[in-house]
Amino acid sequence: MSTKIVIDPITRLEGHGKIHIFLDDAGSVDRAFLQIPELRGFEKFVEGRRAEDMPQITSRICGVCPTAHHMAATKALDDLYGVDPPAAAKKIRELIYSTFMVEDHALHFFFLGGPDFVVGPAAPKADRNILGVLGQVGLEVGKEVIGVRKQLRELMGQVAGKPIHPVFGLPGGVSRTLTAEIQDEFRAAAARAVEFGTFALGVFRDVVLSNPEYVELVTSEAYTHRTHYMGLVDAANNVTFYDGKLRVVDPGGHEFLAFDPRDYLQHIAEHVEPWTYMKFCFLKDVGWNGFAEGPDSGIYAVAPLARLNASDGMATPLAQEAHDELISTLGGKPVHHTLANHWARIVELVYAAERMSELAADPEILSPDVRTLPTAPPEEGIGVVEAPRGTLIHHYRTDERGLITSANLIVATQNNAARIAMSVDKAARWLITAGEVDDGLLNQLEMAFRAYDPCYGCATHSLPGQMPLLVQIHDADGEVVRELRRD
Amino acid sequence: MRTLVLGLGNELAADDAVGVLVARAARERIADAADVVASSASGMALIELLAGYDRAIVVDSIQTGRNPPGTITELELEQIGRVVAPSLHQAGLPEMAAVAERLGLGFPSETRVLAVEVLDPYTLGGAMSTPVAAAVDELARRICNRVERWASEQTRT
Repeated sequence: MSTKIVIDPITRLEGHGKIHIFLDDAGSVDRAFLQIPELRGFEKFVEGRRAEDMPQITSRICGVCPTAHHMAATKALDDLYGVDPPAAAKKIRELIYSTFMVEDHALHFFFLGGPDFVVGPAAPKADRNILGVLGQVGLEVGKEVIGVRKQLRELMGQVAGKPIHPVFGLPGGVSRTLTAEIQDEFRAAAARAVEFGTFALGVFRDVVLSNPEYVELVTSEAYTHRTHYMGLVDAANNVTFYDGKLRVVDPGGHEFLAFDPRDYLQHIAEHVEPWTYMKFCFLKDVGWNGFAEGPDSGIYAVAPLARLNASDGMATPLAQEAHDELISTLGGKPVHHTLANHWARIVELVYAAERMSELAADPEILSPDVRTLPTAPPEEGIGVVEAPRGTLIHHYRTDERGLITSANLIVATQNNAARIAMSVDKAARWLITAGEVDDGLLNQLEMAFRAYDPCYGCATHSLPGQMPLLVQIHDADGEVVRELRRD
Repeated sequence: MRTLVLGLGNELAADDAVGVLVARAARERIADAADVVASSASGMALIELLAGYDRAIVVDSIQTGRNPPGTITELELEQIGRVVAPSLHQAGLPEMAAVAERLGLGFPSETRVLAVEVLDPYTLGGAMSTPVAAAVDELARRICNRVERWASEQTRT
């Protein structure tokens, strides 16, 4: 018989996660995990629909990263119709995608992760929010975050349709060419983004790295897991977001796998536990050995830190410099400290901005040749990109008319699910002994999974409630004996 | 005076479509008096949608489990607590309003929220539940009344 603690929004507003903590008879943590509400019925919903509608449909699944779904779906259509887009089309896609990565990472670092890092883990609860971040970094910085993001989103909108519902990826290319005027705007925006990324690195150095307590927290055992890491890399094994091979390194940092994303089913499988509907991805080549660390466990991580770990470095100079600083400060690759994701995210922000700059300066993006018409009969298509939160896989099968017969998505948070569960579990064990629950539990548990920025893939728009988090502590018979509320 | 009617929701996800459908139902009737937008945006993107308006009505789904599906709760922005949710993607309207105010971004000075209790906002391609679907007309009616009242108040002043 085990005791159970549930952290749950008291008014079950949509889109919120729950944390379950089971205690054993001695009051120690038996098992703890994060449960995330998920949309149901995707496979059934898309059955019989036209494959070419998937970039629109899948981008509407979620209001958080529609561009990532749109791009993965578009690439899956390239594969489905066996068509290779012209070089200009690939560059335009990557330009849009890099723009998206800059704005998403900028938002996360300052406003989503900021309360943990910029304001600080020890700050009073009331200050650990976006307003607290603004108080720390100043209003001008806040305005710049909003301003950069607005400029980037407007630019994306001009080329790809509303950022929330992009409409420009087609099998074999993109729906429009770029003008010299838009190219100029991209160049200007990219320059501002690079400057912004450099500034963000400075903030991280000033606020986090200069504070020994933060550094101690980042490197503490409570937030450390020695797992495998996966990410897309280019031909030189540098981080790439748009296209490449999937590379996996083992917990010692050695290349373990490097495969064509089309072969993902040979390497990735999903484990099911009786206590949750969540599926936990693991490496088939190692096998599922429970929620365990080390080389004998198939658990792997994705997302910014995992991408840095799985690569040899960054393809652009400022990002490479930032990468080297992170890796050397944290003791070399692979870096196993989950909270270092926040730092890795800015390294990637700088890379995305520099990549945007390179692509915007490339004369080829003005080429009128942006589409190769598909001619092959459709059968099966797989498309993979690195979403801000990690590897995103779209996989469709169709009949000969191109109507979907089956679809499979593996989103970043699924790839990370096992490690996130381990992080929540470890933090809970750290904080709960003999049934005594530390009042800092909520903050610290949240920090454990917020570094991954797990995506509550659905309904993330909804109204917030007054008390979105509740810790329920159940005794060995399952009765609630204590509640902790976030208010 | 610029007025925004904002219907939030995911059109593909059963009851979560309610905000989008309400926006659509209200659009033609108040097109002269307000901008009407349907969106699945969240968090900071809400700032971009709302900035520059003087008044706003937001329609969104809510799941409290305390009221029967289809129940409409009308709230002032101030009545919704500011939150630090598990993922700050979920930073909601009140926090966005506070941020916008601090940054001088011109957020609506009055925001009415119409929250609809939903049954199932999670099934893609699922049908809306009967009571939630039945609430669409009433929501559209309330929105139109409110927008008209604001418009007439403005005429008088």
